[in-house]
Amino acid sequence: MGKTVLIVDDSNTMRKIVSRALRQAGIDFSTILEAGDGQEALEVLGSNNVDVVLSDINMPNMNGLEFLKAKAEDAAIKDIPVVMISTETGADIIDEAKSYGAKGAIKKPFTPDLINETLGALL
Amino acid sequence: MEYAQDIIDSTQDIFSSMIMLDVTPGEPFLRNDDKLVNSISGIIGLAGNTKGMLAIHMTNEAALAVTAAFLGMEVEEIDEDVRDAIGELANMLAGSIKSILDPGGSDIKLSMPSAIYGEDYTVDCLAGAHSVTVPFTFDGLGFMVELQLRKES
Repeated sequence: MGKTVLIVDDSNTMRKIVSRALRQAGIDFSTILEAGDGQEALEVLGSNNVDVVLSDINMPNMNGLEFLKAKAEDAAIKDIPVVMISTETGADIIDEAKSYGAKGAIKKPFTPDLINETLGALL
Repeated sequence: MEYAQDIIDSTQDIFSSMIMLDVTPGEPFLRNDDKLVNSISGIIGLAGNTKGMLAIHMTNEAALAVTAAFLGMEVEEIDEDVRDAIGELANMLAGSIKSILDPGGSDIKLSMPSAIYGEDYTVDCLAGAHSVTVPFTFDGLGFMVELQLRKES
């Protein structure tokens, strides 16, 4: 059965590119959902059965780290795995993301193979 | 010129992996405050121990071609998709340069991307900053990547 993924990024362009890379990565996603910031992502997670989240870090309103913290406090969604996908992949910021529950990080620019490798281990 | 090769490596990597475009670098130069004509600029501010900005300046024709390749669809005018795509390119370039300047990731903060465009405008140089601009070409079209840095003492 196909998986459901949520892409969280304030850039419409980047959401389209990540979506295309997911299709090229060869993972069987039946549904690709999108959110423009962390707050929207929490709302999507609250009303859909999502298997994995790919989230940017730098976003307006609620950024990726704030999203991870808020998600960790909600028992209904806290176990859904999140992978950060961002230009921000310095050791300090990734350590902080992992301390809030992120399962990994993909640096932009990325390839479908890298997405396959990272998500394949979680699904 | 310092950081010119880093700009070339980062730009070629991003264009080849994300847009499937091979871009050819030209000779790095100091851009000063030259006017930009019928162009769009994606800009990221840098703050922290090192201040400055990373900008990508594209002619309208180049921006339309890059956005079309980015999104896999025809684009006919400088619209929200083009502004978003060029801002995101600046974002990825700034992230790549930041990883060289600040491997830990906590000394330099990046702003959200912004895009400006028009028939005739300038992007001024930061006072006291080290500046380098690298021109690139692809398919007969051109763009520039500019880095301005001022290290705080």
